[in-house]
Amino acid sequence: MKLQTASQVINFALQLEENLFKLYENLAKSYPEKKDIFLSFARENKKNKTLIQRVYQEVVSDALETGFSFEGLDVDERFFQINLSQDDKLSSVLKKAQDIEKRIQNFYQEVALKSKSFLADVPGAFERIAKKKEERKQKINSLI
Amino acid sequence: MTHLEEPIKEVLILKNYIDGEWVDSKGNFHDIINPATGKIIAKAPSSSKKEVGEAISCAKNAFPEWRKTPPLARCRCLFRLKELLEENFEELSRVQTMEHGKTIDESRGETRRGIENVEVATAIPSLMMGENLEDIASGIDEYLIRQPLGIFTCIAPFNFPFMVPLWFTPYAVACGNCIIIKPSPRVPVSQVKLTELVDEAGFPPGVWNIIHGEADVATSLLESQDIKGVSFVGSTPVAKKIYQMCGQTGKRVIAQGGAKNFMVIMPDTDLDKTIPALMTSFFGNTGQRCLSGANAVCVGDDKFYKRFLDSFLSATSKIKIGYGLDETIQMGPLQSEEAKKRVLGYIEKGIQEGAKLLLDGRKPKIEGAYPANCFLGPAVFDNVTADMSIAKEEIFGPVACIMRAKSLDEAIGMIHKNPFGNAACIFTSSGASARKFQYEVECGNIGINIGIAAPMAFFPFSGMKESFFGILHGQGKEAVRFFTESKVVIGRWW
Repeated sequence: MKLQTASQVINFALQLEENLFKLYENLAKSYPEKKDIFLSFARENKKNKTLIQRVYQEVVSDALETGFSFEGLDVDERFFQINLSQDDKLSSVLKKAQDIEKRIQNFYQEVALKSKSFLADVPGAFERIAKKKEERKQKINSLI
Repeated sequence: MTHLEEPIKEVLILKNYIDGEWVDSKGNFHDIINPATGKIIAKAPSSSKKEVGEAISCAKNAFPEWRKTPPLARCRCLFRLKELLEENFEELSRVQTMEHGKTIDESRGETRRGIENVEVATAIPSLMMGENLEDIASGIDEYLIRQPLGIFTCIAPFNFPFMVPLWFTPYAVACGNCIIIKPSPRVPVSQVKLTELVDEAGFPPGVWNIIHGEADVATSLLESQDIKGVSFVGSTPVAKKIYQMCGQTGKRVIAQGGAKNFMVIMPDTDLDKTIPALMTSFFGNTGQRCLSGANAVCVGDDKFYKRFLDSFLSATSKIKIGYGLDETIQMGPLQSEEAKKRVLGYIEKGIQEGAKLLLDGRKPKIEGAYPANCFLGPAVFDNVTADMSIAKEEIFGPVACIMRAKSLDEAIGMIHKNPFGNAACIFTSSGASARKFQYEVECGNIGINIGIAAPMAFFPFSGMKESFFGILHGQGKEAVRFFTESKVVIGRWW
């Protein structure tokens, strides 16, 4: 799927955060021994969602290149989905989660770069979230 | 989600808003058509002279109390309005797309810019403060106070149905005046939605009024001795006429007219960054804005020219056209069939006058099953010379005219020969070129590596030559000056 407009990119990012929020909530239920950390991840995803929505809505301007700056941003939605089965071991789930976080981090880094010339706060917000993803990957790694 | 839900589900029958009430008009109704789908979304009345008179009379009655209302209390109404605008941000934006045709990103940008004016006007207790100086002579002090004048009217254009009235209205009422808005008869729904929130925000009856209609309603407002000032945004011939009428009747006026904006591309520019900015400038809002790029003047040798032209054409040919509520769309339809006809006329004229049509937007590929009535693709003309109609006149559509200049001086000369002076932009990595451009160019709004030189709410929206008639501009501190009288007091106490 090609993402071209700011509206598309923002909605895609919001959907990613929503999916991750649900994923970590489910993991918290499935693996009670790691409940606290999974719920903290879910809370962070919710905060990310608010941040993305807010920076876009507060700085969007028809005068800047909202429709034309994301040339070449091609994403495969399946690439960002985690399919868990009941039999998955925690370590396997964590590896999958780590992998998906890495992909999302790359996506946010690319979006931050492409939106650098417009919407002042948007690249900053995506960079901040990408940084948080790095920290999360390390946290997940420590659980494996 | 790709296709966003339409907020207007059934045909709206629009009413006037007079004295804090929604009032049925006895005038004839006309259809408001979604230019992308061709469906009727509303019916708007053409109000009578009597109805205009009622609106003026109610505003006149409301003025003395509103004037006495402390500025802090007045701006609290604006704070409530700002909150309501934020709560309804998405619906307001989608309504603009439905009635105007612009993309959802563009509509959200318009909503945001409108809200920013409400935010700036909430600072009225500071913005409206006067000045004073003690001891202008021994024991004598002098001070200046700013007072509201009475009733103002705002005659709105069709290209920014939500935002443009907000360049004026929040400042007018914050200063203690009453306002009567006449929305564009082509796109009145956004102002109705805004006024519903004004009503909810609790402005006293008669302070904020809306009256629908065509040119005769505008004339009635302009002829009224009770109206103290007028803000208008539209075409140059009408702006000039309104300016003259206001002169005759002693009204204050901000009259913003048409434009023909030049984008100067210097050979030292970063083309990768310049092209997206030019796409927004020429084709954003389907070219229907007074800050749109119209003429691209490429400065430099043949090699740079070819590189620029290739990049420009490549980007232009990829623009996705369709219904603006589809998030993937980069350019919506023109606002009406008449608007499309006008642009088609200019394309024909360009061909007849000898310009080379490199990209023909007359048969566009439209995403989705929508009628082609108002759609046009982007058109790019090369070999355009300054004497051609397409280079001189405002087209108000997605048409780019490519011109060449040997030097920056020659490019500036081309801008100066054009009668309009709304905006001009330069793309360069040279500070010296940028400074020369901003220093010499006779245009009100200058962009340096910016394709749309749209001033923020705390700066005036400027304009020169045939693009602006008046002295003070809309937005920010200049709007406060426009909506107040400066009264000077000199006092001595024995």
